[in-house]
Amino acid sequence: MVDALKEAHRILRPRGILVDARPESRIFAYAEHQMRKGKYRSAGVIATAREELVNDRTSDRSIAKAVGSGWFRSRRAGRFWHRVLFDDRPSLQRYLDDHLRFVHRVRWMVDAPKRRKWEEDPWAIRRAVRYEVFERI
Amino acid sequence: MPTSSSAASTSGVGKILPAISSLLRPPPQHELREYGGIGLVRGKRVIDIGCGDGRMALGCAPHASEVVGVDPDPDAIRLARVKARELGVGNVEFKVGIAQELPFADEHFDVAILSWTL
Repeated sequence: MVDALKEAHRILRPRGILVDARPESRIFAYAEHQMRKGKYRSAGVIATAREELVNDRTSDRSIAKAVGSGWFRSRRAGRFWHRVLFDDRPSLQRYLDDHLRFVHRVRWMVDAPKRRKWEEDPWAIRRAVRYEVFERI
Repeated sequence: MPTSSSAASTSGVGKILPAISSLLRPPPQHELREYGGIGLVRGKRVIDIGCGDGRMALGCAPHASEVVGVDPDPDAIRLARVKARELGVGNVEFKVGIAQELPFADEHFDVAILSWTL
């Protein structure tokens, strides 16, 4: 990863911009039930898989090295959220079953009868993305 | 397959999980807005490193002067080229390559994007 950042530094002009964006693994994602169009309620939380947490820490160290080496300086950083939508709850579960980033089980905040009642309704996973904008030195 | 929050319909959601899909990521306009708006890429030479199927590269193209997408996955690059053709985008080029060895001259680009790449 450090090699990739070094290469990005090489191809960018001085004061050029580098954007690094990736899923924010340090906070939970949410399993959300769609109450009505465009309106969701959180029904559970989804943690990031341990391997991905390790990968993200490796990325963080690479970025820190690139900054420490004087290749880039941080201009701004932030976080935003986005939703991946599903037709129903089984679809959401199938997605989790196949997904490497998340653990495969939702930690539910609503009881089983409610989940069964909402089974056929649309669902979403709302997750955070963090980003940092750097200036090439 | 899953759809992103920008999709108008959830028809077919969850049926297939594609290996590469822009649908699992935020819409590029949304991402650009977060990073500082289209001013970030307007009139600029932009490279999308790890471009996948071209989601961000194609999102930048209407505003940038030149966009290059690079990804090690030939299938993803094929798909990105098809999408570019379908959209009639002329200022985007997609190349198979790795982030550690980019086939470009020093200081060629104004903006480099690593979106879900590191």
